[in-house]
Amino acid sequence: MSDQEKNTVLKVESISKRFSNVRAVNNISFTVNRGDIFAFLGPNGSGKTTSLRILLDIIKSDSGEIAWYLNGNSNHTPAASQVGYLPEERGLYLDIPILKSLIYLASIRGMDKAEAKKAALQWLERLELADRAKEKLQVLSKGNQQKIQFVASILHKPAFAILDEPFSGLDPLNQELFIEFIKEINNQGTTIILSAHQMQLVEKIAHKIFLINKGEKLYNGNLAGIYELYGNKQIIELRFKSGFNEISLKHFNGAENVEIIDTSKVKLTFGQNSDIKSALSDLAKLEGDFDISSHKPDLHDIFLHLVKSHQL
Amino acid sequence: MNYIKQVITVSRWEFARFFKPKNEAIGIIIMLIILAVFYLGGKYAFSDKSPKIEVFVNNDIDGALTEILKDDFEVQKLSTERKGDFIAELSVEKNKVLLEKQTGAIVLYAYKNSRDIKKLKNRVDNYHKQIEMQKLGINAEQLASVLSPAPLVESFVYTNDSSKRVILAYFFAALMIMAVFLSFAYQFTAITGEKQLKITEQIVSAITPQVWMDGKIIGITLTGLSSMITYSLLSIIGGLVFFQFTGLPASAILEYLYLPSIALYLPFALMGVLIWNAILAAIASVITDPNNSGKSPLMMLPVVFVLASFLVTRDPDSGLSVFLSWFPFTSATSMPMRWAITEVGIWQLAASFFLLLLTFYFLRKIAAKIFRISILMTGKEPSWSEVFKLMKIR
Repeated sequence: MSDQEKNTVLKVESISKRFSNVRAVNNISFTVNRGDIFAFLGPNGSGKTTSLRILLDIIKSDSGEIAWYLNGNSNHTPAASQVGYLPEERGLYLDIPILKSLIYLASIRGMDKAEAKKAALQWLERLELADRAKEKLQVLSKGNQQKIQFVASILHKPAFAILDEPFSGLDPLNQELFIEFIKEINNQGTTIILSAHQMQLVEKIAHKIFLINKGEKLYNGNLAGIYELYGNKQIIELRFKSGFNEISLKHFNGAENVEIIDTSKVKLTFGQNSDIKSALSDLAKLEGDFDISSHKPDLHDIFLHLVKSHQL
Repeated sequence: MNYIKQVITVSRWEFARFFKPKNEAIGIIIMLIILAVFYLGGKYAFSDKSPKIEVFVNNDIDGALTEILKDDFEVQKLSTERKGDFIAELSVEKNKVLLEKQTGAIVLYAYKNSRDIKKLKNRVDNYHKQIEMQKLGINAEQLASVLSPAPLVESFVYTNDSSKRVILAYFFAALMIMAVFLSFAYQFTAITGEKQLKITEQIVSAITPQVWMDGKIIGITLTGLSSMITYSLLSIIGGLVFFQFTGLPASAILEYLYLPSIALYLPFALMGVLIWNAILAAIASVITDPNNSGKSPLMMLPVVFVLASFLVTRDPDSGLSVFLSWFPFTSATSMPMRWAITEVGIWQLAASFFLLLLTFYFLRKIAAKIFRISILMTGKEPSWSEVFKLMKIR
């Protein structure tokens, strides 16, 4: 076994899943290594959640192979104690005290109750919720309920955590807080798969990304690689102070893609070999008062480009 | 973490979720208050504190009858002229009664029928019997001899104290159905609630649907059993109150608590609760919204089967009774009833119980399979045909 193979904790080969007439996941393969933060990216309904559920054997794939190497041996499903899961559909016992729920959820994953209580109180202390440990979850704000849900999924200190849309429904402050939590548990040795569509957040933490659309792989590799492949374009953003001529912009000469963001913002994408100088001089001739800025594509731009190209 | 440890963890959790000692204690206190009110109210109702009736007789009533009536009532004569006024005043003088002799009959005038009037009628009846006996020339002993049943000496090979055992069997059947209903309410709340709270996915990523289902069935059955124990104790207290009225000594209730019967009825009742819990858990698994589900009336199923088992008491040795005592959906109540009133071999009890165990083993597996399929179904509630179709695929 090579060093690379020894480092592998999850190997997925050619899994597919169909629901009635919908092909939810189509022949996808990927590998996750120890210590990775592996981001599953895709628009709504692209097959992210189905793929994650298949990994945990909550639903069965129609074909393909899954191998977990968390305890040295190859297993089709991981041991509950070694995996933490934050489902996309959030939910906890609302009418039961927070501490009790946390201890129960950790204990069904094999954690000793006393240890679970200690760990839960430590997390609640960090979240400044220790004084509410005996209160029912329903009295907490939605943001705090989300935090408790996150704690419930990683309290037992799993070797591998699957976080389905961890940032969904969070305000920017809590999104940053969750990024810190994810980085922290990753630094403590937990390998992470997360799914998301908030690209700017994923860019901050992911080592590897898997881009999926309509159940199919669009990209699988490290973050730097996707910029090398698709980041060599140039994006020019126009911010109009008053209205603009939509027709003349839609057919702008030399632009690979024109995206009208809203009534004042337009984004033009130019290919590697486009004549930017000439484009800029043509833009200067446009009617109206506007600001112009230029940048290399970020993950959001690449994501949109790949998804749109795939849908064509 | 092994299967048994996980099932114990889930069972304890489910039991703790629904077994509320405080609520149970409040329930017991309320029941005791009701029993106390019933007891004291009953005592008052049976006490003879209401004003006694005053009996008026006209001159034609036999003197001998008047003397008999004087033993229990205050008796006065009433002249025929005053009869009209007397009857007119009955709506005011409600405790007065007039007896008047007419051709071939005694006419009774009173405001309304009452316990005292029944007593009065009883005395008149006895007097009438005496007169008739005199006419026929027979005495009281001769009449008693004529009316006595045939001198039949019964000698049965199979004898038992079946009436008390049957009452105990009914009692256990009632407790079982109560435990099933309570469990069903909890099961419904637990499963549909968890589906609505979207907690199922979190749990099934940690434990298998089978572990979860087994833990739920056992935990909730224990909750039902705890209620069974509570209400059994209350029933014993209620029984003691009942014996106060019947005049039997309170110790008479011990005759009903026949230990071999309890040793037989308890495991059968327990298996009955487990089986119905497994069935009801499967039903609850496919219900998304209990308020609008067409499957909710299925909760009446246990009642139908338990009521069917009462047919055993009509003829415990008929083919139908034998079938009911073996059929797993009715045997938990039918077999104890048959055992109470007819001869049932030990091997039959053991085999019927084994069949119950076997049925429970498979039902919990089916329940877990249905649960697995339905937990992740959102939106429209699946029909049974859809569920069974998916069961075949996955």
